[in-house]
Amino acid sequence: MNGLVAVGVPLALVIRLTSIVATLMLVRHARACRWMAIGGSIVASVMTAVVAMHVIGSASAIDGTLFRHAASETELGYSVTPLSAWFLMVLALIAVPVALYSAGYFAHALARPRTAAVGAAFNAMVGGLEVVFVADSVIGFLCGWEVMTLATAALVATEHESRASRRAAYLFLVMSHVGTGCLIAGFMILASSAGSLSFPAILSGHLASGPMRDGVFALFFIGFGVKAGLIPLHIWLPAAHPAAPSSVSAFMSAVLITAGIYGLFKVCAFGLGTPDVNWALVFMAVGTLSALLGVLYALTQTDIKRLLAYSTIENSGIMSLGLGAAMLALAHGHSTLATVAVTASLMHMLNHAIFKGLLFLGAGGVVMATGTRHIEQFGGLMRRMPWTGLFFLVGALAISGLPLLNGFPSEWLTFQALLLGFTSTPGLVRLNFPLAAALLALTSALAAACFVRVFGISFLALPRHPAASAAQESPGLMLGPLGFLATLCVVLGVFPGVVLRGLEGVTASLPGLRPAGAMAWGRLGMSSTLTSFDHIAPALFGFALLGGFIVATALTTRRGLAVRQAPTWGCGGELTSRSEYTATAFSKPLLMIFGAVYRPTRQVDAVAEVSPYFVEEVRYRAEIEPTFERYLYGPLGRGVVRMARGMKVLQAGSLHTYLAYVLVLAVILLMWLGGTT
Amino acid sequence: MTANVLILSAAGMLVSAYLMVGQKALFTTIRLYGLQSLLLAIVAITIAISESHRELLVTAALTIVLKTILIPWFLMRTVDRIGIHREIEPFLNVPVSLLICVGLTVVGYRVSTGFEEGSQLVTHHLIGVALSLLLIGLFLMVTRKKAITQILALLTVENAVFLVAVGVTTGMPLVVEFGIAFDVILAVLVLGILVQRIVGRFESMDVSRLSNLKG
Amino acid sequence: MIPAIQDALLAAGAALLQAGGLLAVAPLLKTVIKKMKARFQNRQGPPLLQGYYDLAKLLRKERVRSDVASWVYVAGPRVYFAAAVAATTLVPVLFPVAPLEAAGGILLLVGTLALGRFALATAALDTGSPFGGMGASRDMTIAALAEPALMLGLFASALAAGSMNLGELVRTLVQQGINRHPADILAFAGLFVIVIAETGRIPVDNPATHLELTMIHEAMVLEYAGPDLALVEWASAVKEVLYLTLLVDLFMPVGIAISAAPVAVLVAIVAWGAKVFVLAITVTVVESTNAKLRLFRVPELVSISLGLGFLALAIRFL
Repeated sequence: MNGLVAVGVPLALVIRLTSIVATLMLVRHARACRWMAIGGSIVASVMTAVVAMHVIGSASAIDGTLFRHAASETELGYSVTPLSAWFLMVLALIAVPVALYSAGYFAHALARPRTAAVGAAFNAMVGGLEVVFVADSVIGFLCGWEVMTLATAALVATEHESRASRRAAYLFLVMSHVGTGCLIAGFMILASSAGSLSFPAILSGHLASGPMRDGVFALFFIGFGVKAGLIPLHIWLPAAHPAAPSSVSAFMSAVLITAGIYGLFKVCAFGLGTPDVNWALVFMAVGTLSALLGVLYALTQTDIKRLLAYSTIENSGIMSLGLGAAMLALAHGHSTLATVAVTASLMHMLNHAIFKGLLFLGAGGVVMATGTRHIEQFGGLMRRMPWTGLFFLVGALAISGLPLLNGFPSEWLTFQALLLGFTSTPGLVRLNFPLAAALLALTSALAAACFVRVFGISFLALPRHPAASAAQESPGLMLGPLGFLATLCVVLGVFPGVVLRGLEGVTASLPGLRPAGAMAWGRLGMSSTLTSFDHIAPALFGFALLGGFIVATALTTRRGLAVRQAPTWGCGGELTSRSEYTATAFSKPLLMIFGAVYRPTRQVDAVAEVSPYFVEEVRYRAEIEPTFERYLYGPLGRGVVRMARGMKVLQAGSLHTYLAYVLVLAVILLMWLGGTT
Repeated sequence: MTANVLILSAAGMLVSAYLMVGQKALFTTIRLYGLQSLLLAIVAITIAISESHRELLVTAALTIVLKTILIPWFLMRTVDRIGIHREIEPFLNVPVSLLICVGLTVVGYRVSTGFEEGSQLVTHHLIGVALSLLLIGLFLMVTRKKAITQILALLTVENAVFLVAVGVTTGMPLVVEFGIAFDVILAVLVLGILVQRIVGRFESMDVSRLSNLKG
Repeated sequence: MIPAIQDALLAAGAALLQAGGLLAVAPLLKTVIKKMKARFQNRQGPPLLQGYYDLAKLLRKERVRSDVASWVYVAGPRVYFAAAVAATTLVPVLFPVAPLEAAGGILLLVGTLALGRFALATAALDTGSPFGGMGASRDMTIAALAEPALMLGLFASALAAGSMNLGELVRTLVQQGINRHPADILAFAGLFVIVIAETGRIPVDNPATHLELTMIHEAMVLEYAGPDLALVEWASAVKEVLYLTLLVDLFMPVGIAISAAPVAVLVAIVAWGAKVFVLAITVTVVESTNAKLRLFRVPELVSISLGLGFLALAIRFL
């Protein structure tokens, strides 16, 4: 076992590489290359999971070399720290079900010639992500980061016939590279002052407090924030995640954003020395803003995948909020509080990965069955696709943070961190905590409303479109992973203590944190550091709920009580799908209440051919203002284009002019350097 | 004795570059390039023998095979295929070009005095010639219109770099050698094919016509 | 091993007793409020036991189910009922101990009630009736707005007492005695507004309306009949008792039984009954002297509550 663990990571990468090559060689045989890609992915993921669990269990890092070339003395090493191991484990936990789901999904929903490319790109993406998590030097990290980005861009552009997909891939690439540019700059600054490119040397907090350190923080915050999807760097997310194939979207939303979160943890929070109070406040502000705006925008979407993408932004904000609370605690020296907050954030990351993966995979099944992503054309799917409906319901309950499912413990722990932060931080800055807690409560309630809307409109009542009434249940290969993830949601919701034990090892490895031993309360429950402050034991509470449910069932199903089926009252007329409540109508009250955020515009046209008194058709068009695109990125983009146009003068179009530039530059440089030696 | 051979060969390379600037016939230009490469190989062999660096013999052999024989043959075949044998009017006429080349040579030599290796006579000349060759190659690229000439100019620049590597340092690691050799072959192949395509499409090798593509 | 099982059985027994007790009292409270409102309007009002008669009648009736609905429609009222009943085990009523306080505190309570609401709202969408969708939409909207205010109000009291666990909180308050802080009044006012909103009373929602377009909570349950409707009505009544008990626990836990002596228990029952009755009178007065707000004015009301809660926190801790 130890031997396997020692070579696990390089072996997994080799398997992935082989799988990619084999997939590309088997281009002609769609079925074979599908299974080659998926099989390789699963084997490699299982291997990394084994390594990760070993590291978490033993709470000690595993180091090694990925690649060495003696002649040029390049070496790429890897280091699986407990933090990396946690992220790797989440990755593997989602990658395996997604891969299995893809086996079914690609067979039915993907054009045959593209299977090889998509399979290879998927493996490249997962492999790049794994390298990002385990890299121990700047070069390895950036290589993995770039591979991951490019593979993701290729996947986003899978349906490149559609203009929307092309635009989404382009936007994704531009934003990613802006972020990567900031990362490179930040790393270069750190490396030049530390004198080395390896992470232990760079991330030792050697920079002194001051504008330089703040500048580096800002660079890394932008770089990783783009990947994590934090507002205002999020504009690529709602375009890119829906454009990719559904199983890939699930992976992207669940795991790819954790690459950004990993960077924020590793560098911004724990790699630059004791965090500054202002940094923590920035994190908390951005986190709260992302959470709130994410869910508010999700409430108005009618494209199911775009809705889930905005919900990812919301949860990314919650993770960032937890991290911000931790940083504020660290800035004031409260290590126990910081541990609670970090645990909350990491736990939420795991839980989000599970239920977001579940929701996206479910949505994928629905999209495949009906051929559209538009919620307003679903309806009545619960009867046609009972299992998908059930699992989607579990995911919706989980994401709303309701008890007995895994969203609740991590949100509870975040609340604990915020409240304990309020009691233990001095000064006016402490008012941020209850404000953040109130906004977090608002966010989770809005998320519940959002998912009542999605689930209710998509799965319940009458089908609103012929495609929905003809929908077929997904094949077993696609339902299995859904069931697995749903079960995991329930298990981790009822027994949250299991997760805490794993996290203890992770938090022990981060600088400045003191492991708060009493957090896992037996196997059943969780408590914050002071048991008397608050604790939960969902398993216990489950009994109470079960008891109540049994009483209710007993009251309503007694012997001799008949059940009569009758049509729903349609106010005297026929009840068709046209008279059902629509998704737009469901969120209209919130749209109006939060009008200051949405700034909706609407247009109502009455179409009358014969006479204006005999209206034949009324057209209604409502639009939400794309605030960030219009006020932030629009001017930015136009400014860049203006600058480029100005510089176009240099581009004479003549090859000779360019070469002349080179010659003149060469001469000048030589004379300058030659003279100064 | 070795010093003399080296200095003579370097000078020969410089002269061949000047002759390339003054030439209009494409075939001759290619042959001049071949001569230049041969002289480069001689430099390599001399240093190999005098300082007993065996690897340089491999380098020299590589240079002879590739740059003296193979590449010129390929380029001459390409020129044959295209059917264009002469360079048309360059941007600057020959006397002015030669004057500028003299200026560039002065710059090259001046820079070589800045290096500490330039203190020795032989290496001073070698570096000076190499830098001059580099600048002249760049200049050729700027002022000539035919694609073949530009390829040759590129190869001249490459020769210059090689000269410095061989003459001043102990040569490059063999891995790098092979890498560069591979690079050169590939570059010439690609450029050759590209030239054929350009001529096929535009019926002209005149690179300045590319500015028609500007939007 | 044995003491643990004993504790578990004790907790289970106490939970059953408390849940059963509150279930029994809930319809009475509802009818009391109805009768007082009627008296306000110079009417007689229903007999005090009307609530029980209504439930008995509904439980005997036939179950009707929409032919468009799925199992979600059937499960909705049951989960709503289960959530309300389970929530009663988290709140201390007669003793400064909640039967299942080991299971959780304020956050779990709010979460459970949210679970019930989610189930009912989802079920409302299952019948295909536009009123169901409208009711679900409005209810989830108001609940979303009310949640931050609810949280802040609860936090203000909880943080003052040093615990979010209701049993622990009451115990601390009882120990501290009647040492009230001006912030408590603000927190109480804020929470009272939220209780009105959550229980669906005027000025937020009119529980007695029969006009569908003015309904919020009622519109969600429009399609239920017989035993299902009985579950929903009963659960709503239990929620009402629960909220009022919560207010009593947080702000005036005087008279709670500290020992198991029968006298103390009797005093506790009378005290609790009296306090809940006083709160019920307040609710009646508020209902009878205010007009129902337009739906889009409710956020203003809730934001007042939010501000009160925030002020309560600020005043107490700064």
